[in-house]
Amino acid sequence: MERWKIAGVVFVGLLVFAISSVWAQQEVKLTFWTFVEKHADYMQLAVEEFNKANPDIKLVLEASTYPYEEMHDKLLMALASGVGAPDLADIEISKFGLFLRGDIQLHDLTDMVDEYRDKLVQERLSPYNYQGRQYGIDYHLGALVMYYNLELFQNAGINVDDITTWDAYVEAGKKITQPDKDIWMTVVETSDLWTIHPLMEQRGGGAYNAKGEMILDCQENIEALQFMQDLVHKYGIARVAPGSYVHDPSFYAFANEGRVASLWMPQWYMIRFTEFMPDLFGKVAIRPMPRVTPEGRRSGMGGGTGTAITKQIDPGKLDVAKRFLGLAKLTYEANKRIWTDLGFDPIRKDVYDDPELMKPLPYFNNEPVLAVIKDLFEHGDIKPEYLGPHYPEIREILRETVCYRVIEEKADPATVLKEAAEEIRALEKE
Amino acid sequence: MAKSRRFARKIVPFVFLSPFLIMFVLFRVWPIVSAFHLSFQELKGIGTSRFVGISNYTTLLSDRRFVSSFLTTSYYTAATLLTLIPIPLVLSVLLFQRHLPGRNLFRTLIFLPSLTSLVVVGTVFRLILADTGGLVNTILGLFGVSPLRWLLVPSLAVPSLTMLALWRWTGMNIVYFSSGLTTIPSEVYEAARLDGAEGFSLFRYITVPMIKPIIVFVITISIIGGYQVFVEPYILYPGGRTPGEAGLTVAVYLYRTAFRNFNMGYAAAIGVVLAGIIFVVSLVQFQVSGFFRR
Repeated sequence: MERWKIAGVVFVGLLVFAISSVWAQQEVKLTFWTFVEKHADYMQLAVEEFNKANPDIKLVLEASTYPYEEMHDKLLMALASGVGAPDLADIEISKFGLFLRGDIQLHDLTDMVDEYRDKLVQERLSPYNYQGRQYGIDYHLGALVMYYNLELFQNAGINVDDITTWDAYVEAGKKITQPDKDIWMTVVETSDLWTIHPLMEQRGGGAYNAKGEMILDCQENIEALQFMQDLVHKYGIARVAPGSYVHDPSFYAFANEGRVASLWMPQWYMIRFTEFMPDLFGKVAIRPMPRVTPEGRRSGMGGGTGTAITKQIDPGKLDVAKRFLGLAKLTYEANKRIWTDLGFDPIRKDVYDDPELMKPLPYFNNEPVLAVIKDLFEHGDIKPEYLGPHYPEIREILRETVCYRVIEEKADPATVLKEAAEEIRALEKE
Repeated sequence: MAKSRRFARKIVPFVFLSPFLIMFVLFRVWPIVSAFHLSFQELKGIGTSRFVGISNYTTLLSDRRFVSSFLTTSYYTAATLLTLIPIPLVLSVLLFQRHLPGRNLFRTLIFLPSLTSLVVVGTVFRLILADTGGLVNTILGLFGVSPLRWLLVPSLAVPSLTMLALWRWTGMNIVYFSSGLTTIPSEVYEAARLDGAEGFSLFRYITVPMIKPIIVFVITISIIGGYQVFVEPYILYPGGRTPGEAGLTVAVYLYRTAFRNFNMGYAAAIGVVLAGIIFVVSLVQFQVSGFFRR
């Protein structure tokens, strides 16, 4: 009888403990919009981590994935109209500027970033920094690198490690290119900006400078555009990418056949190789871009997606949202997962020493790819990219007009860029 | 008592209609009114709207992109009218022949494109029209035609878009024409045959005049659809960006202005002008086709 009494007391005690711990656990629901399914999956894993680290909070993330344009349009409308926006949202770099016009409807994340600032690659904070305040945090560094198809170089008797300058690159290209066999050193885009953007950034050009001035028609950009034109029309070592851009299915098929010897793209393009170009397994090597001058930079940044917290969040949830975002994007473990789960180059410097990140990759010539990127940021080779109010329009004009005219119409790069810059200046005056 | 019953009788239809009327005003009339209102504003950032009078409209007149997009859209509309009326009309007459073997199979196959996911259509058409290894160029090659750069040169932008539209809308227009063909009494054909008409004469003098109202209807919706074209360039080209802006249509320009450049007031003005253009062109077409005379 006595035993039963003890058991009963223990049972009631456990029940009270269980009920009280559930009551003490505060449930916080956050909504999140993204346009990349993998980002949503990644964030859900981060929720698990957050809940483990914070037993007093039960965080629930309602993630919705929409198509790219639709998500940004919906978000813009929701923020402009004052209703219907999620608590957290992914905003792609080309679109970020739109959300910084007028009354900014995104929360300032500067204090949150300050906690981790010394650990981060500083250059990567610049795109989402506006007037000294931080409004978004990226998933990745997006370092610009060169992808080489080793088979074509070996056939031509060239070692890719010898290509340290663009002059050497052009010389190698002349040996490799065989127009009659439709084999080319590289391809150029006429309806997107991934050929021109890295060339401009590497030279110190781009859309805006550190002072926030629009520099679309600066000398560095003109030289970059001239070089792009020369690759096709002077040196004859490049053709227009099938489908006019390197994200087209017809380009993937073309490259998969081994017709493209090299391509400069951000690190995140790696997953396009593994996913769409299976026949290049083991043949692709990643190296820094060649230098323009002996002291010139070997890289810059390309693309990106900043996660932001909107002002429509319930103020009572803001603190949890910031802590969650910090844990999902800025901690050591999070940055490790950025590589292991998403395959992106992390923005935190110390994580690059982790053995997990230095594992060789069989597809990419069995080399540790991130070693190249570590070398780049350690040597200050990654040029920070600066955004300004008309960054979206600048990207649009580069995509639709500038590259097309210079390549297809053989227009003078300086004239084309001056006209484009005038168009942007007219917008600035309005 | 009788008075109140009469009043109730008057009010009842409105009560039953009210759900529709409320929805119509809320989701149709109100957006039109507010778009019109927005077209007189400058709205380039969140919470920054200000009244600018007709300035958006005056800017539009000298906007070379708007003018060129209008010309492109007119070209596209004309191209779709020249293909999407005669081809489905002839096909619907052929499919209407009772003795045609596999009639239902052909009908289903021709209608299927209207039901296909747009993302899939865009990807498949980019592969079909690819300059290297594309299906169209491969077929042209069999006839000794050298490969065309369908998606890369401005001059082929509208033809490429028309091809896509033809593939997508032929089935739908066949449905319209078929519904018209079913209304023609067989006696009319029999009488004509007795008078010696056959083959093309039957088509020219009986079928076409008898389904003229349907033809006018299809022309009208094709004009409206042609001037509003957005989906075709948007799925066929990356983000609707065509080589040298040769496929920039008014609706794509409107979208770009609103959502890529966040210039809502100006985009609203483009929308209002586009609606005006469609209204005028439709009126002209009604006049020419003799629609008002009946």
